[in-house]
Amino acid sequence: MSLRQKLLLLLSLTVAAAVASVAWTVLVRIRHVFDQRDQEETALFVAQFQREFQNQSAGVTDTLSRLAETDRARFVATEVTQSGDLAPYLNEARTMADAAHLDFLEMVGPTGDVISSAQWPARFGYPEPAAMSPKAASFLKREDLPDGTSALGLFFVTAIDGVNPPVWLIGGKKLDQGFLADLPVAPGMTVALYSDAPSTPVTNTAASNTSSSAPPPSAFDPPRLIGVDGVVPNAARYENLVLTALRNGQQSSSILYLTKRREDSISVTALPLKDESGKVLAVLTVAISRSSMVEAQQHIRAIAYGVASTGILLAIVFSLWIAARVSRPIEELARASEAVAAGNWEVSVPERGRDDLALLARSFNHMTAQLVSQRERLVQTERVAAWRELARRLAHELKNPLFPLQLTVENLARSRQLPQAEFDEVFEESTKTLGMEIANLKTIIGRFSDFSKMPRPQLEALDAAAAVERIRALYESACPPNVRLLTDVATEPMPLDADPEMLHRALSNLVLNAMDAMPDGGTVTVSARPVEDTIEIRVADTGAGLTPEECERLFTPYYTTKQHGTGLGLAIVQSVIADHAGTIAVDSRAGGGATFIISLPKASV
Amino acid sequence: METTGDPWSGFIRRLVFEGLTDVGADGNIHPGLATAWTAENGDHRWQFHLRQGIRFHDGTAVTSTAIAASLEASCKGNCPWTTMRALGSSIVFTSESPMPGLPALLSSDEFLIHDVNSGKPLAPGATSGSDGGSGSFQVSGVANGALTLAANEASWRGRPFIDVIEVRGHRAVSDQWMDLAASRADIVEVPAGEIRQAQQQHLAPVVSDPVDVLALEVSTSGALADLNLRSAIAWSIDRNVLASVIFQRQGQASAALLPQKVSGYAFLFQPQRDLNKAHELRGGLAAQSLSLAAPTSGAWQLAAQRIALNLREAGFSVQVVPGTATNADLALRSFPVAGADPAADLEQMLRASGEALPTIGRDSAAVYRTERDILDRRTLIPLLHLPRAYAASDRVRDFHLRFDGAPDIDDISLEAAP
Repeated sequence: MSLRQKLLLLLSLTVAAAVASVAWTVLVRIRHVFDQRDQEETALFVAQFQREFQNQSAGVTDTLSRLAETDRARFVATEVTQSGDLAPYLNEARTMADAAHLDFLEMVGPTGDVISSAQWPARFGYPEPAAMSPKAASFLKREDLPDGTSALGLFFVTAIDGVNPPVWLIGGKKLDQGFLADLPVAPGMTVALYSDAPSTPVTNTAASNTSSSAPPPSAFDPPRLIGVDGVVPNAARYENLVLTALRNGQQSSSILYLTKRREDSISVTALPLKDESGKVLAVLTVAISRSSMVEAQQHIRAIAYGVASTGILLAIVFSLWIAARVSRPIEELARASEAVAAGNWEVSVPERGRDDLALLARSFNHMTAQLVSQRERLVQTERVAAWRELARRLAHELKNPLFPLQLTVENLARSRQLPQAEFDEVFEESTKTLGMEIANLKTIIGRFSDFSKMPRPQLEALDAAAAVERIRALYESACPPNVRLLTDVATEPMPLDADPEMLHRALSNLVLNAMDAMPDGGTVTVSARPVEDTIEIRVADTGAGLTPEECERLFTPYYTTKQHGTGLGLAIVQSVIADHAGTIAVDSRAGGGATFIISLPKASV
Repeated sequence: METTGDPWSGFIRRLVFEGLTDVGADGNIHPGLATAWTAENGDHRWQFHLRQGIRFHDGTAVTSTAIAASLEASCKGNCPWTTMRALGSSIVFTSESPMPGLPALLSSDEFLIHDVNSGKPLAPGATSGSDGGSGSFQVSGVANGALTLAANEASWRGRPFIDVIEVRGHRAVSDQWMDLAASRADIVEVPAGEIRQAQQQHLAPVVSDPVDVLALEVSTSGALADLNLRSAIAWSIDRNVLASVIFQRQGQASAALLPQKVSGYAFLFQPQRDLNKAHELRGGLAAQSLSLAAPTSGAWQLAAQRIALNLREAGFSVQVVPGTATNADLALRSFPVAGADPAADLEQMLRASGEALPTIGRDSAAVYRTERDILDRRTLIPLLHLPRAYAASDRVRDFHLRFDGAPDIDDISLEAAP
């Protein structure tokens, strides 16, 4: 990963994390604010609802009180207490209840027995204990009904005015769909009632008309949760909340998710409705839809996400710009360094600004300038040294033939004093020697000329195995009798882009050197194998080997360990290999033979 | 005339159809289409001699063959006799067991004579046809739920004073009373439980003697197969409260099937409630929830609920269901007392309730023993003896009720409108 990519990634992540953390913080805060608002709104609605509930209770109280003051009630109560005849007033309670819009109404005599019952006319004569203990306010009571079920009602007890002994009126309204429908509710608010009444017909309790011995709530029965429009949809979701209120007798609130969609959630408060003994008879649920709040929340969240996304996008663009600005000088430095490493010391990088990177660029340019300067000085030095070496070699090479030439010329000059015949013999021998030495001089001059005229390689596709095979075919039969030539070639393809003739000449030079290094015989092994992205060709002998000093100077031009060598053979080999973008090395130790290792880049197939 | 039920029911049918015999104002059996009857062979064979010259409303002669066909169609193979045939101008009944109450049985609604070959003008969509009767009135029209009857000029009883009767059915009692007050009706029903209210409203109802027996039919299958449980039910019910409050003191609490006026021994069956005895008989047996079928109308429903309350006190779980419910464990029913012959009345009650019909002797002691045996089975628990009552407008003259509590339409007349 490049520096620019790293910088981009780092900056992007940093900015994105920052934007995301800000967005998350904003969202959490928004959610907190909305939840708080939701709770406050719910509490407000619940308080309002409780006031309405109390108003309904007060309405029941007022209705009963007004009924108790009517002449009709007083007349009936007086008649019944005086005559004891219930028959004429069997339907009286029903008539009064209908007129007063009450669901329950019973007139109860001084003994506590029902005189007339609206909800269960056949109950006359049976006791109604609740009527014997008048209350200051309305209360909840479960009322058994003729069909074997029971209903929850909001009751009030009052004595009929002016009748002694007292005759009581106990009546109220049923807590049912109608009651819920009469309760004013705010928009988006729904109320429901969960009655814990036994659904099965009651037995043997009609006489006492009490169901307070009903077992404690154990299982939630969704159809019992009745709203204004009937059974509440998704009633099962209310289970935990309702059961908690039923068991604990405490108001509890919760957010219920009716479906997987958040906007279908409601904030529900469960209000336990208790009788006078504190037993929870029913649970009133006040549910407020959270859809508008959730939608607003989602809208804000969408905006936050949009802003965050835009921020992150801008952060990435900014990071790109920053990364480019920061990394460009470094990349230029890197490219320049690579150029320097490749030998191009003339490269320089722009020096922008006055920051650290500019200082680095100036240092780099100074370094390359110094390198170029030093290289030029080194070249000059080497050139001088090379000229000296060349002069030395030339002097050395030329001195050898010149000395016989000088002797021959001097001998020829002295031979003019000799008889003609002897002179002719000397002359003939001298001209022969002169010719040979002059030819020798030409040969020496030719070799130097060849070295200076090394051509550029003509690259073509070549398999290393073919090059090795060509060497084996040429030298296997031409080897001295005590030298054996072996080849070891890998089976997989070893493609090369090489000049076949130059590579063959280089390998031939190495094989001949190896043979020369084994005057007492031995084995020359030529092998080829692929090593990663290169093809490695080895020429190994089993000769006396080389000293480390020899190994170090082996490829220096005009250096030779042979008595008659020019010292140019291995220099030419190194030049050929270098022209093929390869390398050559020698591995040898004294007495252990020598191995020349050529590494050439593998050609792409 | 208005009624809460179907206009083509109850005593209205008796205006159109006649039986071989008839119940007179004294409750005794009088000749109807038969002028005389004789019993032979220890009441195993009866021969009814037919009135001559009688014709159905469409003019067809009422022959012994037509009467035999009508009787055969009435009982649909479940006849109380073994054989029945027309013999000249008489009908001969034979049976393997004595039939001492046959003349009274033939006066019942079940065996009213009709022409089986006549059309059915009361059938939905029918535009013609004869009612098939021979009574003092004949059906002259059916429209909008109202039945119109016209006087039969050729009735052997003599032409009634009333020319036309319009019977409006399915009218609530309160509506009937309102129509009576507004002179839109001349004769309206007054249920037993509302007689007192009618009196308070000055409707001047005409009340009969107790002629309906309110009883509780108890199933002998299922949970109530145990006689003790059925007895516990009988002891649980507070009949006096039913009579004094729900039926406004217009009925008589009774543990007997036959009213005192008919049998003379009803007082022997004391209608006392004994809740302790009921608990004792129940013996802690927790009978499953029982169903009590009862008509949904006013006092009946109230009575059913009161009975359910009484039974719940005794440890029974009872659910009141509409009277149409079948297979109920308990059913509140009314059995009419048609005549003054206790044996015949008892026989008809048992026949109506589906009870096994024993041979009932003609003397009071035998009838008492039979009734006691029946009541001991606790499958039929008498509760009240109730009267029937009707209220008539001021222009109705000579309005009185027959022995069975039905208005005697034949004898009434209307004061002409001013």
